Amino acid sequence: MKKKEDDEKTGQCQCEHGYTRRGFLASVGVGAMAAIATTSKLSSAKEASPAELSAEKAVVVTLLVNDRTHRLLVEPRWSLLYVLREHLGLTGTKVGCERGECGACTVLIDDLPRNACLTLAVEAEGRRITTLEGLMQGEELGPVQQAFVEEDAMQCGYCTPGQIMSVEGLLRARPQPTPAEIRQAVSGNLCRCGTYPHIVKAAARAADLKAKR
Amino acid sequence: MKDDERDLYFVEGIAVPQTPLPGEEPAAWGKTTVIGQRQPRVDAYERVSGTAVYPSDVVLPNMLYGALLRCPHAHARVKKVDISAAERMEGVHAILTGASLAGKVKWPYSEEVVTDLFDAQCRFEGEAVAAVAATTPYVARDALRAIAVEYEVLPFVADERESLAPGAAQIHAGGNRFKAETYERGDVNKGFAEADVVLEEKYRTACEIQSPMELHGCVANWEGDSLTIWESTQGVYAVQAKTADILGLPLSKVRVIGHYMGGGFGAKLQPGKYTICAALLARKIGRPVKIFLSREEAMLAAGNRPPANMTIKAGVKKDGTLTALQFSGLGSGGAYPAGGTSLLDWLVRDLYVCPNVQSELTDVAINAGPARPFRAPGHPQCAWALEQMMDALAEAIGMDPVDLRLKNVPLVSQGREGSPPYTTTGLSACITEGAEAFGWREARRRTAAARKEKNHLKRGVGMGSCVWFVGGGRPPSTVIVKLFADGSVNLNMGASDIGTGTKTVMSMVLAEELGVRPETIQIEHADTGSTQYATPSGGSKTVPTESPAVRSAAIAVKQQLLKMAAGELGSPLENLRYTGEYIEATDSGKKVKITDLASLKKQGVVVGIGYRGPNPEGKVVNPFAAQFCEVEVNTRTGEVRILRFLGAHESGRVMDRLTFDNQVFGGITMGIGLGMTEKRILDANSTGKMVNRNLHDYKLPTALDVPEEMVSLPVDMPDSEANNTGAKGLGEPVTIPTAAAIANAIYDAVGVRVRQSPADPLTMNRLLAEQSPEERS
Amino acid sequence: MTVHFSYVRPASLQDAMGQLTGDNARIHAGGTDLLGCLRDEVFPVDKLVSISRLDKLRGIKKTTDGGLSIGALTTIAEVAVHPLIREKYTALAQGAAAVGSPQIRNQGTLGGNLCQKPRCWYYRGEFHCLRKGGDFCYAAEGENQYHCILGGDYCYIVHPSDTAPALQAFGATLRIAGPRGGRDVSVADFFVPPSRDVTRETVLEQEEIVTEILLPPAPAGLRSAYRKVRARQAWDFALAGVALALEQEGGRVQKSRVVLSGAAPIPWRAVEVEKIINDSTLGAEVIREAAAAAMAKAVPLSKNGYKIPLFQGMLEEELEKMRGA
Repeated sequence: MKKKEDDEKTGQCQCEHGYTRRGFLASVGVGAMAAIATTSKLSSAKEASPAELSAEKAVVVTLLVNDRTHRLLVEPRWSLLYVLREHLGLTGTKVGCERGECGACTVLIDDLPRNACLTLAVEAEGRRITTLEGLMQGEELGPVQQAFVEEDAMQCGYCTPGQIMSVEGLLRARPQPTPAEIRQAVSGNLCRCGTYPHIVKAAARAADLKAKR
Repeated sequence: MKDDERDLYFVEGIAVPQTPLPGEEPAAWGKTTVIGQRQPRVDAYERVSGTAVYPSDVVLPNMLYGALLRCPHAHARVKKVDISAAERMEGVHAILTGASLAGKVKWPYSEEVVTDLFDAQCRFEGEAVAAVAATTPYVARDALRAIAVEYEVLPFVADERESLAPGAAQIHAGGNRFKAETYERGDVNKGFAEADVVLEEKYRTACEIQSPMELHGCVANWEGDSLTIWESTQGVYAVQAKTADILGLPLSKVRVIGHYMGGGFGAKLQPGKYTICAALLARKIGRPVKIFLSREEAMLAAGNRPPANMTIKAGVKKDGTLTALQFSGLGSGGAYPAGGTSLLDWLVRDLYVCPNVQSELTDVAINAGPARPFRAPGHPQCAWALEQMMDALAEAIGMDPVDLRLKNVPLVSQGREGSPPYTTTGLSACITEGAEAFGWREARRRTAAARKEKNHLKRGVGMGSCVWFVGGGRPPSTVIVKLFADGSVNLNMGASDIGTGTKTVMSMVLAEELGVRPETIQIEHADTGSTQYATPSGGSKTVPTESPAVRSAAIAVKQQLLKMAAGELGSPLENLRYTGEYIEATDSGKKVKITDLASLKKQGVVVGIGYRGPNPEGKVVNPFAAQFCEVEVNTRTGEVRILRFLGAHESGRVMDRLTFDNQVFGGITMGIGLGMTEKRILDANSTGKMVNRNLHDYKLPTALDVPEEMVSLPVDMPDSEANNTGAKGLGEPVTIPTAAAIANAIYDAVGVRVRQSPADPLTMNRLLAEQSPEERS
Repeated sequence: MTVHFSYVRPASLQDAMGQLTGDNARIHAGGTDLLGCLRDEVFPVDKLVSISRLDKLRGIKKTTDGGLSIGALTTIAEVAVHPLIREKYTALAQGAAAVGSPQIRNQGTLGGNLCQKPRCWYYRGEFHCLRKGGDFCYAAEGENQYHCILGGDYCYIVHPSDTAPALQAFGATLRIAGPRGGRDVSVADFFVPPSRDVTRETVLEQEEIVTEILLPPAPAGLRSAYRKVRARQAWDFALAGVALALEQEGGRVQKSRVVLSGAAPIPWRAVEVEKIINDSTLGAEVIREAAAAAMAKAVPLSKNGYKIPLFQGMLEEELEKMRGA
């Protein structure tokens, strides 16, 4: 469990699965909001309410990430990428350009690969967000992750989470893709180490692993 | 030897203790059981599960976010920095400026050129002017916007070809020429006179940006007077040394940690100004500070491969004997001395047998971000020129390009004083076996025949070969291997795994030597506070530097276990055999399970220390390669499609076939970037600013830009003279001949020489438009 | 890391239009282009009006006249794979498939693709250029290798859309909602060349929203294609592109529309090409003549002369593919 001042700094929820909304608000959420309000005079947390997204500087959003609900106080300009990484601690999603040009931040939104850097956190409300961590089954790797290990589909590993999410998105839509479809599916994910041939092989293997499971 | 980067990779002349002692080096491995297999990465789980914590992932309690204000002009003088508005902003905790540091913090751009950290003279766009720390990165950027800087905008020069022209903007008081070097052996005029054919041509490669996917940056935290830095780096000890030096701290008070890092390619061998700023801000506020650059900042200020302008004149006899090579190169590493022509002539000097060689290199200043070593400094550029010239010579004398190269394979390093021999050279094997596996001769016949057909889609094949200047590894390196009472093993080494699989290869070495499973090995690495000294991972030297030290440490462990067993089994040492799980006495037939050794149980652990021994005296350890490719050129649109690639690489012993192949494909991919898509573009006419500072205007190859068919053909030649694992480096040679091979294939397809990189539709349409309609169809 | 802005996500089109008052309120559809512009501080912003809750603006359906209606919020990916679009309006599906990256296509909308801002690096960069209210176009004398060869007039951007040329080739119409009622504007009339107004790209007014893209029925014998030549095979804009929509009968071209991308500040109808290929069987001579005519009025800048042979070669190749279809 993180320290309390950590929570105060980030306005981050530490909610565990199973917290009721009321319980969460009472225990953490209000404190988090208050912390933001005191550190920034620009904040207008008091005016913010979950029903209204029109607040000037800070609003409450509810994000459904990896099947868990997180209620957070965010600025409208905050990207989903920033919130995932720096506030929810889901650093499997990487930051490479913050311009939608490298794919390192790829997450699934309603099963489709999208750039978390080009998605405002407030826009992600009501959507189903899946990050790399969400592909884990407990401590066990998901089939795409497993295939990436077996085919050595990584070098420095920094683009790898995004590649995996793009492949996961592809396989959810097309369980038995052709090599051409695989290459197309990861074409928005730059790999400077140049691991592409292994990534294509891993995607094909992942399709097989998924079919078997 | 004159390499600017060598100091970054190696420390010369250090006498280090050695294990085993000189003359007691272990015999080379015979048949291996683990080494050479396809071993998935030992840290793959961490990397695919999101549990690997990269420096950019670090979030500390109470942490603030820093950002650097950067000069928007190519050349300017800071007259005034007004931070009053920014200081008053909520959430802004500290601001550093030139005034606030009062000249007390210096930044060494090179040994000779030292400036203030925030120097009033901004010699390139992106130079640091101020730094802030705030509660969120968003607020930090708000603060930067609120800082008002008054600049005196100065004349600039953005094109290295204009740098020495009369009237060009002067960047340094001493003028714009940083360095002029010459090299000569034999007599080129005599050589040209002996030649049957003499050709001269000009080539240019564009400036490239390293662009690792993880940006440059760090998190800095003070505990009392001790500084800890989590840095995305290729070498934690290099970051420690420079940071301690700049901040005036003892090395022992600076701990640098870089367990994972998202790529560097030479751009992360040293700390950045951001490292110093993060440390200073963190100290000022008393809270941890995280600074990671934006992609745009990294493009401007975190390194590049200098543009290279090369003229090459070559003489050859009809039988393929090279008689003379004359080379001149002009480059610029930006606004400060940064190796603008580093190793630019090396292939001309060393790759092929040639008695008469002359070269001159001129390194000049331009108003652009300083270069940093970029994967095989100088080599891919030189290959672009030399390897195209070799093809032109082959055509001129009616010889196959493969045969011309094979005719001129050297066994000694001619470029070095006294022409010392290579320990091993796989150059011939790479060319021969590569050509065979590629189907070179058949493909040449096919493309020659097809050229006569009326079709606007033309195919061609091309090749290129290379040597890499270093790649043999060197001391110093110290590693510690601990074997615990239960037989599990811990490896402690300072080297970073920059994505090449260092940790995996070292685990395989331990497994091979100690008989343990690679995945049971725990590795502590890349932490100056808790792991041993190592030089940065770069220059294709990590495996040949670290793996011999690891093997030596494993042997030291083994020797202690054998001593324990000698007592417990009552047999002399020479009669004991280590079989992995057991130690057996060949005389009595008795054996003891290692984990049953009483002394081990009592002691709890056996510690083995391994040092990297010296390289062989008077010999040179280099890796070699040849690459082959086939392209299709659309003569109507100038589109070039790469259909297939083959890389034949000799890097001594193949350690892990899986990561070996991955490196080969990666190097080819990066070479495709140089050859086909990448170029820094400065607005040379009006502002000098970089216009393509993002990842769609600066075009790294995507999965659709590399061929579907890529083949890695290892030429496995364990080099027992080089070191005790027989491995040489691989990371550099894989990208050296790629672009040149593409250019040669384009020539084979359509008969145009792509002298300036990249071979994109812009270049290709210009070149094809110069051809007659008959040639195009 | 953008500046502060407020954010609203209205539930109705009326509300959305009402929220768009003030010069610095911007529509957020997919956000892929908008957020990039905000990062680069291309224009000021104080409020984002997200229309993502307006589900009526989503989806592809047949119209009563036999054409097709595509909601403005339909994603590029949905357009690219839609069976009816692939079959009847192939060029549009191909154009959509050529946009950006898979992630961008999953997020970006067709309406947004039509309303996106130019990709000129001076416009996007730290240059106070003419289009941003400055005094001159940096590209005119600068790094203009990706700029226009047709239709440039003080400003030399190229229009970045891959879907607009196809839509224009099909004679599509945009349905626009506004506070004072709706209007229909043909795609051909939607884009504003710099000669008319250098500070805007479309005729869309501040409080207006594109709601629907209407395709007329595809006539029998219609065949279409979109071709894009680029420097990189993903996440790249057209160096040269063309949308062709040809109606042929008995091997003879009855009617044609040819619209270029990567050529001009707006999708560029190549009427000269159409005139030559209409009523022809697309013989080699006609094709050569047509390709040359497309570039007859081209005025290259200092660094983009390569586009002329490129366009000609590409047109020759694409027209040949259309022959006898």
